[in-house]
Amino acid sequence: MARNRQTKNISKTDLMDEELIKKSILNISSDEKKIYKIRINKFKKSHLLYVVLLSCLAILQFISISFFTRGFLLSRNVLSNISNHTDDSLILSPKFDKLVILIVDALRFDFVIPVDTNNTLFNDNYHNNMPIFNTLLQTDSNSNCNSHNSLLLKFIADPPTTTLQRLKGLTTGSLPTFIDAGSNFAGEVIEEDNLIQQFYLHNKNVCFVGDDTWDSLFQPYLSNYSVPYESLNVWDLHTVDNGVISYFQDHLGNSSSGESWDILIGHMLGIDHVGHKYGPNHHTMKEKQIQINQFIQSIINQLDNNTLFLVMGDHGMDHTGNHGGDSKDELESALFFYSKKPGFMFHFNDSKSLNNYNMSNLGESYKSINQIDLVSTLSLLMGLPVPFNNLGWPIEEFFENGDEKEIVTKIMINQLLTYKETMGLNIETSNLLINGTLNSKRDFDLGHQYQTMFLEVCKDMWARFDYNSIITGIVFMIISLILLIVITKLIPSIVMNQMVEEFPPWMGLMTIVSNICFFGVYYVFNKTLSLIDSPLWCFLFATAIGIIVGGCVPIFDRYNFAWIVSKSYEVFFSDYWSRIGCMILLIHSCLFASNSFTIWEDRIINFLLISLGMLTLVEFVFLPKRQTPNALLTAKISANEGTTSGVNSSTANSNNLPLSRFGRLLGGYHSLVLIICTRVASLITICREEQGIYCSPTFLNSSNNSIWCLTLCFLTIFIIPAFIKGYYNLTSSYQAAAPIWIDIFLKGSLLINFVYWLLTSLENSNINYFDQFDFNINIVRYTIARIIAGFSLIATNIGWAMGPLCIKLNVHNTDIKSRYATILGYMNIYGSEYFLLVINILIAILLFNKPLAQLSLCLMCNQILSILEIIDLLKLKENIIGPIVLGLLSCQQFFSTGHQATIPSLQWDIAFILSDKITFPLSQISLILNTFGPHILVALSVALLTLWKQPPDVLKPQTLLGRIVSNCGMLLIYNTVLCLSSLIWVTVFRRHLMVWKIFCPRYMFACLCLIITQIIIIIGTVAFATSRLIQHINDVFWK
Amino acid sequence: MPNKTKKSVKKRVTFSDDTTTTVSRSHNKTRSDFIANHPPVFIRKTFKTIPWHLLFLLYYYVKLSKNYDIITLLKMLIPSQFIYLMYQFNKSTIYGNKRLKLNITLSLVTIVGSFLLGFPILIIVILCGAPFVEHLPLSWLLSLHISYLAYPALYSVFNCDFKVGLWKKYFIAIVLGGWLSCVVIPLDWDRDWQAWPIPVVVGSYLGAFVGYSIGAYI
Repeated sequence: MARNRQTKNISKTDLMDEELIKKSILNISSDEKKIYKIRINKFKKSHLLYVVLLSCLAILQFISISFFTRGFLLSRNVLSNISNHTDDSLILSPKFDKLVILIVDALRFDFVIPVDTNNTLFNDNYHNNMPIFNTLLQTDSNSNCNSHNSLLLKFIADPPTTTLQRLKGLTTGSLPTFIDAGSNFAGEVIEEDNLIQQFYLHNKNVCFVGDDTWDSLFQPYLSNYSVPYESLNVWDLHTVDNGVISYFQDHLGNSSSGESWDILIGHMLGIDHVGHKYGPNHHTMKEKQIQINQFIQSIINQLDNNTLFLVMGDHGMDHTGNHGGDSKDELESALFFYSKKPGFMFHFNDSKSLNNYNMSNLGESYKSINQIDLVSTLSLLMGLPVPFNNLGWPIEEFFENGDEKEIVTKIMINQLLTYKETMGLNIETSNLLINGTLNSKRDFDLGHQYQTMFLEVCKDMWARFDYNSIITGIVFMIISLILLIVITKLIPSIVMNQMVEEFPPWMGLMTIVSNICFFGVYYVFNKTLSLIDSPLWCFLFATAIGIIVGGCVPIFDRYNFAWIVSKSYEVFFSDYWSRIGCMILLIHSCLFASNSFTIWEDRIINFLLISLGMLTLVEFVFLPKRQTPNALLTAKISANEGTTSGVNSSTANSNNLPLSRFGRLLGGYHSLVLIICTRVASLITICREEQGIYCSPTFLNSSNNSIWCLTLCFLTIFIIPAFIKGYYNLTSSYQAAAPIWIDIFLKGSLLINFVYWLLTSLENSNINYFDQFDFNINIVRYTIARIIAGFSLIATNIGWAMGPLCIKLNVHNTDIKSRYATILGYMNIYGSEYFLLVINILIAILLFNKPLAQLSLCLMCNQILSILEIIDLLKLKENIIGPIVLGLLSCQQFFSTGHQATIPSLQWDIAFILSDKITFPLSQISLILNTFGPHILVALSVALLTLWKQPPDVLKPQTLLGRIVSNCGMLLIYNTVLCLSSLIWVTVFRRHLMVWKIFCPRYMFACLCLIITQIIIIIGTVAFATSRLIQHINDVFWK
Repeated sequence: MPNKTKKSVKKRVTFSDDTTTTVSRSHNKTRSDFIANHPPVFIRKTFKTIPWHLLFLLYYYVKLSKNYDIITLLKMLIPSQFIYLMYQFNKSTIYGNKRLKLNITLSLVTIVGSFLLGFPILIIVILCGAPFVEHLPLSWLLSLHISYLAYPALYSVFNCDFKVGLWKKYFIAIVLGGWLSCVVIPLDWDRDWQAWPIPVVVGSYLGAFVGYSIGAYI
């Protein structure tokens, strides 16, 4: 294509060196040098100001998110009161002296009961492998009916089903709040009254072995001989379990070599880790279950007569083996009691027993109790006071009818009433009625009813929100959105270049002023204002106000409100593509108004993106006539500047011409690529639990490790560089640095990356390939992973900062006498260089994604480049549609890389790619690159909308910067609108049944997306990449 | 590419917005005001173009038929669309100054053409997110419905030499109806009519009804 090449007059044709090209192509006079220097200085200054301005807006948004979060995710008021025995009549004599507790992490209920092999859900890998429970129960029922010494119950956990929250529930008998879920990795010593503390206070020696979460929660109360093990490394299946087994062997029975104990607690993680690593349907699950079955058998053999033994799971696991949410499979766990004490038995209410303990159909109708009920039961059995915050009710089967139950009821009601008085709760009058009858009758069932009602009231109360903070957060977000729109889209970039100097000083000044004012207010009102009740929140509030005022002053200095309205109409609704963009933005943000749309967001996003592709395809095929004011404006500017800067007029004016036949063909092809890639990528999905039967997951561990997937991954080593090369060749940009980057760096990294994932999947497969080797395969894997991560995140980016140009001087003209040489790749000099940076980050993100997600990301690479070509062909570089399509793409790829906006779908195992335990910052970086990889790529490539196929010396550096900021701003607007909409809807639906399951995770995800996009755009795109690139290219092609 | 030579427009297949046949030329104001104010080919603004049969078919589909019998619906759609074209749509279409009689051969060819058009539509439907393999027959029936809904417009396209400018809105209306109807698919109302492809069929019918009714006015 002739228009892609730029001809220049040079005197000697054999000069290939860059410096010499510069010297020979460009005549340098001192005047020009001066102009250039002034221009670059101006650029540097305004670049810095832009970065400061964007950072201020980002800070405003962060503050608004933190205010909203503070109001929405309230933490429960924790009382540190400790129960004592006050009334001697309220003490039940201890039934047992010693207690052995075995916690089997993620022991789902259907693991322990016999499952009919004809059942459709029967699975050999995780069913019927633990027959010990049923054997014991059967022995009971077969022998004399008066000797029930074992009891199995379904154990219902409260969401969130993460281990830390469950341990808190299991020991305090209270409910967790949602915010606790985030602190699963940073457990602190528990402050509330709890069972372990009560054991400690009553001189019981608590020995513990297993998951080190216990150690962090109950450190002061555990025996010094406890042995905690590292818990978060899901790759390690055996260390913890073997530790527990050997510890129990040492301490159980008479041959005790360790110190004496009263309470022995073991927490095994094997099943949980198998679930996280392989999913339940894997042969290692069977091995683990059989191992635990044998272990329980050996414990039972060694029990003495005065000990109660209980086995329980803290939560279940879903079909993928993960947990954290509140699906039935995650909530249902098992609780098993066993005792050899003579004279002790469980009391079954015979009339109910047949229906209550029915194990058929996966135990669907089996009797269940709440997890928090365990605390009161154990306290009463051991003769201890019930922990202060307890809300549970004792397990019926332990207590005889008659007097015993009456005392139990009395104790429990007493405890609940004390708690109620201390908390200052208001229970409604209808409940008081029961309360009145309770005092007289002390009926166990009635007491249970009262407790259930009490629990509901408490649940309701802890879902109370701080509306002041919520409204503040939403208002700040709306204002930040308006500021963002006005600053990046409405004010023309020429005016903005002058105005940008005014914003940072005003914002800084106003921040200081408002800080002084609000701290004055804060101290005058003596910290009584609920919104700013601590210096930190006061500071944040004042800073936000300062930024808002400081942003408004320069804007309203020049413009008024009417102008903003009319101008925003012009920008957002004036032409066809803007309207389409607005419509998509509107549709996407309205999705959060309904739970079903939020559930199906992945499909809807695919549908929208494909519809957009179809629209561009129609555009290229039928070529309707329509007015595009923005494009015309662009063309005019470039035409004007083109003539002054010596670009031949045909190139500069080509923007005014309609698309050529070749252009239409090319555009149609790119639209098809976009559509097909999106459709193929949409096949990769990890289904939400709510999608149910309408979605069959393809992103499974088995398919990730399958041969066809790895084969495809192997093919991408060659396909992806070839595709990128194809896009580069469109503008002959595959020169100089491009082959090094694409053919060597990218291909090499992809190869090593493939080796890494091959090793991982071989290790995960059913056959142990690595047993025959002596060395530890993990060392090889960590080495490989760290090499790629270091190479792609650090080394190549430093290389990029040196400025790899993708141009070549072509002197092989057919005419020997010709004094013209062609610079290949001139047309796309900005874009080709910038995309190399995107490739760097792409390599890093590929490493942290599983094989199927890697395939999806490879498709994403094509999608991005096709979108860029389409936008360029349709001359929509300044239009709002470009960033919106990219924003949509990032969402689509988030879903097709095996994620969903739910907490269980986070791929925790990725955190152990770089290190074998949770290490700051390696694990965090891994998780962020895994979860937000598409968003990071899009935040980087949004600058390409302006830079792709942008020849040098058409636009001034400052204009270019202005346009990049404008496009970045549009992407931020897109994310802000999504975030704002999710904030508003989660507030509206705060009493909705699904709020914690659907709306709240989506709101947290939207906030994180906004934060990540902000950070990447400010630091990566604007501050680093754009300034380096523009300065570097202007160094070469200066005028 | 827009066609530059205005005289030899016949027999050229260009899917462009060429307005030569659909927009009146100012220097042709010779015969009467009627012609001057109207393009050479247009549709009269009458109530005759309202396709009532589509509403009846929809009523049959949603209320009367058992299990949303999509095949019977298609069998009923094809003849009724033919009758609609013959007695309503074609009679409202003015070519130049006169109404042309229905070209029976061409209309039969168009029936085959609509059938063939079903395949590209099937590809588009699948690209837009219809299930890949399962429900493939249903998706195909859906695309046949869409293409036979467009049958009168398709006939007219053939009849006036592929100048799609005038007829495009009918296609757009049908597609838009189907596109918008996807809204109800993800909702959790648990109704049996939310099953694939019932909402899209209904949406396309409604889109076609609106399109054929008001097509002459836009």
